[in-house]
Amino acid sequence: MATLKALFLWGWNWVLWFWRIISRPSAYLSLGFLTLGGFVGGVLFWGGFNTALELTNTEKFCISCHEMRDNVFQELTQTVHFSNRSGVRASCPDCHVPHNWTDKIARKMQASKEVWGKIFGTISTREKFLNHRLELAKHEWARLKANDSLECRNCHSTVAMDFTKQTRRAAQIHSRFLIPGERTCIDCHKGIAHLLPDMTGIEPGWREAPELQGKGSASLHGPEHAVRSYLAELNGSGAKD
Amino acid sequence: MRWGTAFGAVLAGLFVFVVGALSQDAAPIRIIPRLTGAAQPMSEIRTPPLDRPITDDVRRMRNYPEQPPVIPHSIDGYQLTVNTNRCTDCHKRQFTEGSGAPMISITHFQDRDGQVLSDVTPRRYFCTACHVQQTDARILVPNVFQDAVDIRRNR
Amino acid sequence: MTLSRREMLKAQAASVAAVAANMSVPAEAQPVAGGVDALQISWSKAPCRFCGTGCGVMVGVKDGKVIATHGDTKAEVNRGMNCIKGYFLSKIMYGEDRLTQPLLRKKNGVYAKDGEFTPISWEEAFDTMAAKAKQVLKDKGPTALGMFGSGQWTIWEGYSATKLMRAGFRSNNLDPNARHCMASAAYAFMRTFGMDEPMGVYDDIEATDAFVLWGSNMAEMHPILWTRVADRRLGHPHVKVAVLSTFTNRSADLADIPIVFKPGTDLAILNYIANHIITTGRVNKDFVGRHTTFVKGATEIGYGLRPDDPREVKARKAADPAATTPIDFEAYAAFVKDYTLEKVSALSGVEPGFLEQLAELYADPKRKVVSFWTMGFNQHVRGVWANQLVYNIHLLTGKISEPGNSPFSLTGQPSACGTAREVGTFAHRLPADTTVVNPEHRKRAEEIWRVPAGLIPEKPGFHAVEQDRMLRDGKLNFYWIQVNNNLQAAPNSSNETYLGYRNPENFIVVSDAYPTVTALAADLILPTAMWVEKEGAYGNAERRTHFWHQLVRAPGEARSDLWQQIEFSKRFTTDEVWPANILDANPNYRGKTLYEVLYRNGNVDRYGLSELDPAYENAEAKAFGFYVQKGLFEEYATFGRGHGHDLAPFDTYHQVRGLRWPVVNGKETLWRYREGFDPFVTPGAGVEFYGNKDGKARIIAVPYEPPAESPDAEFDLWLVTGRVLEHWHSGSMTMRVPELFRAFPGARCFMHPEDARARGLNQGAEVRIVSRRGEMRTRVEIRGRNRMPPGVVFVPWFDASQLINKTTLDATDPISKQTDFKKCAVRIVGVSA
Repeated sequence: MATLKALFLWGWNWVLWFWRIISRPSAYLSLGFLTLGGFVGGVLFWGGFNTALELTNTEKFCISCHEMRDNVFQELTQTVHFSNRSGVRASCPDCHVPHNWTDKIARKMQASKEVWGKIFGTISTREKFLNHRLELAKHEWARLKANDSLECRNCHSTVAMDFTKQTRRAAQIHSRFLIPGERTCIDCHKGIAHLLPDMTGIEPGWREAPELQGKGSASLHGPEHAVRSYLAELNGSGAKD
Repeated sequence: MRWGTAFGAVLAGLFVFVVGALSQDAAPIRIIPRLTGAAQPMSEIRTPPLDRPITDDVRRMRNYPEQPPVIPHSIDGYQLTVNTNRCTDCHKRQFTEGSGAPMISITHFQDRDGQVLSDVTPRRYFCTACHVQQTDARILVPNVFQDAVDIRRNR
Repeated sequence: MTLSRREMLKAQAASVAAVAANMSVPAEAQPVAGGVDALQISWSKAPCRFCGTGCGVMVGVKDGKVIATHGDTKAEVNRGMNCIKGYFLSKIMYGEDRLTQPLLRKKNGVYAKDGEFTPISWEEAFDTMAAKAKQVLKDKGPTALGMFGSGQWTIWEGYSATKLMRAGFRSNNLDPNARHCMASAAYAFMRTFGMDEPMGVYDDIEATDAFVLWGSNMAEMHPILWTRVADRRLGHPHVKVAVLSTFTNRSADLADIPIVFKPGTDLAILNYIANHIITTGRVNKDFVGRHTTFVKGATEIGYGLRPDDPREVKARKAADPAATTPIDFEAYAAFVKDYTLEKVSALSGVEPGFLEQLAELYADPKRKVVSFWTMGFNQHVRGVWANQLVYNIHLLTGKISEPGNSPFSLTGQPSACGTAREVGTFAHRLPADTTVVNPEHRKRAEEIWRVPAGLIPEKPGFHAVEQDRMLRDGKLNFYWIQVNNNLQAAPNSSNETYLGYRNPENFIVVSDAYPTVTALAADLILPTAMWVEKEGAYGNAERRTHFWHQLVRAPGEARSDLWQQIEFSKRFTTDEVWPANILDANPNYRGKTLYEVLYRNGNVDRYGLSELDPAYENAEAKAFGFYVQKGLFEEYATFGRGHGHDLAPFDTYHQVRGLRWPVVNGKETLWRYREGFDPFVTPGAGVEFYGNKDGKARIIAVPYEPPAESPDAEFDLWLVTGRVLEHWHSGSMTMRVPELFRAFPGARCFMHPEDARARGLNQGAEVRIVSRRGEMRTRVEIRGRNRMPPGVVFVPWFDASQLINKTTLDATDPISKQTDFKKCAVRIVGVSA
């Protein structure tokens, strides 16, 4: 930890020195050279930056911190996103970093807080991690709720779902809640890749959130009616075998 | 009707005769590796692939009313910890109308002293101690248990 | 009755279909066919057939068959609940391959070791057995005769066996499979308290503030006790649960303090807790001063392997592992001082924060704490130490023998306590905590049994693992196994057990209800009545003695173990089995059969058939002409009455849902050694550990010592074996219940995904598990109920086609002689398809 702090201070001093130099106008170099040099430098910088960014966008990078490797990654290995029939695997950034560039940068800037946490050992032990689990999970739920489960949809697009390949329950619930956009993936699929925190007071995702519940019974019992009629339909068809 | 019965009896008789004749020669103990071990018990035998859970959502008849019903749907990844209980997301009384799932039985509302509580008692929290999934494994040996109806019919 | 249009259509469709299929509409479609009488079920109480929890069940019988079972609401243990196995008890007796006649290996019509199993009569079975036994007795004497019993024997079956072997055949080579199960616990009780079995009861669960599970996975192995723990924890948020294990299991799902430690380091963690209690000044000095003394145990005591094993040769104190020397508190405090937080954290791989939280559960004087353990402690090369170390921390804090403060040793078999321990089926024991090495104890047993003095041999017999070694070495030649499946259960089975059973010098008899791996490796198989096919009694982990009546008849010629033992005793006369000097001194015993001297001794045959409850069948009593179960029980009860093992009268137990001994003046005892609860405590003493002559318990100083075998470059993984919820022990009953079988149809190897990846193994891949002893094929499971840490794999042993004990090491605790099934080294390689 101490070395990390020292490194951070050293970096800051270097930035100050560099700013002092570049804030003064040039006395020797031509404008053309500066423009061209700036362009080439920019390209080089851009390439370097993006390469570095992509390096931080791998599972290998994520689990190079023991906080990630010993806690959340261990939990991921027990789930369907880690091993499954077709061998398609989701790694950490697939779900936790947006693919689109501007969102990605925004997320990376947010993530600098995690670096801070790493430096000061906020979740350096399993014990501390368990104590913070609810808070950490709520961040991710809120983020995915706000972006309409963007990272889920990078792979699981609504339009590509074949309801005949899903169990009847899943197909019914998806067509009732997901297709009309009443719910987003994360509402129901919390804990799909990690263990859940204390869920006291957090209702099942398919339930109407209290703020959306109107006074009228139509809203309150809408979903119930849908499922009931679906069940009646099932019984009526005699499809049970 | 009578013709059918007679035909059935002949068929059944034939079957008994054939099987009886076969079992005359067979050893008195059938080798079923998962129950009796392999014929050479210390030898190595191939292990069949792991069986798959049945997730067809079809409720199974209970052997007797007190038997806990088996789980006919997937529970892969369902969390059942001190923090959360995925089963109750659908099977809790107040959620059943929306989810279409059977309500947790009234017996589960009784505490140790038999008092009925307003919700499921904590001692019934870990559902999978009694309710299990079934796999598509073929049973090793028939079980000749007879339920109340079989017993009455066979009187 | 109104029918909806839809129901009407359904009913019509059904009758049309029935007509088409030439069937009549079944009677049950009619309302109450046959009237309400047809619906009646005859319900009776019984304890569950499976684990040591001892749940009460109601068994519903109709037309001579069990048709339903459910949890007994009046049973204190489970109050109406069962686990998945208990709910399927109805089906355990009805596997189609029940054994219904004796089977002897024959070739050309006569017995041959390499013959085929051939049905014979009971007459021929006993004749063959008796001839073999007499030959062995004549050639080699009683030490070549042995019996391997079980914690699943009923109380009278175990008691009858101990009489038959020790007084009848004069052999102490009687041991139960409970040796594999809780011998370490039993020895630790004797060494600490001078008396076996827990001081507390399950009621501690509802009275405590914290639970600590030491290597026990109660969520799967004691599910009903787990419902009580869950009830307490979830119903009372201040309660904490700590779960210690070598891997993450279902019990960890309820844990506030989840701890995964490196195999064997629990000893260090226990000493750290003692050190923490002392250094933070939380020793209950008054309690320690008045009720405890300190001793130091011998160290470097070996691993109970064969004596020529280099590890035994190297061990300094292998000859006398149980030795102790007195020390004082200061010496003890100095001893545990080495076990600092840093050192133990590094050794065990557990975060310091969790270790401190755990230690505080014990140290905090305001918190009541219950410790639970089973096989994690007992199947441990230092199992007796582990048991004693947990008593240490309860004694240091005085958290013992009162509601909610309880070190609690759980058991795995329904009568591990009631039969294996209490009636004296261990190779060194006699009923009610007495032993064969004590001349006074032998004398008392001979008096109660009404047999000549000097009859019971004083040298302890071969313990379970020793029996297998002696069978292989040809020193034990007549061997009778009842109610257990030892070829599946015993360690290093392909090098010891199997070779022993198939050794041409030996004659092996197996009594079982089903054809098990062990039965098929025997020479004679006896078909056996099980559970409610006979009258029985079990004793559970909280000292509860629980009876049941015979409710149905056994199939075919199957007979109970008790009937088999007694009937066999008729084949021997005292002149054939007792030495001349004893008969010379007691001429009135001459010419009598063992049946006459052991069972028609005026005690066992005291109660006539008129004492039977006419509502129930009793095959054994009717076979012998007297109420044999009652006679045996009352004779056995004389051993313990007035000695703190008091049992109630026989008939009482048929009325109640079990009683916890000592039962004094009709009242059961909940917390032993505590005044106000236990009538044997001297008034004014407060607490008295009266099992020891000085009334004090022992706190022992013993160190961490490494396991017998640890992973190395060649065998690079720890192997842990155990059970799963759906199957009980070797699966001979549960694998025949379709619902239980299909819930968990076969064994598999739970391993960490990275360990699997490093070996190129996918989920579900077929692998070979290889140890220095043998190998086994199975499939890889990287998900599911057990989440393994890297370097550790878990394999359950219920599957007869996957005998994991071919790979396990026959290392035992040198004191208790119980095998360590939890720690050996293996490597895992993929099987190319």
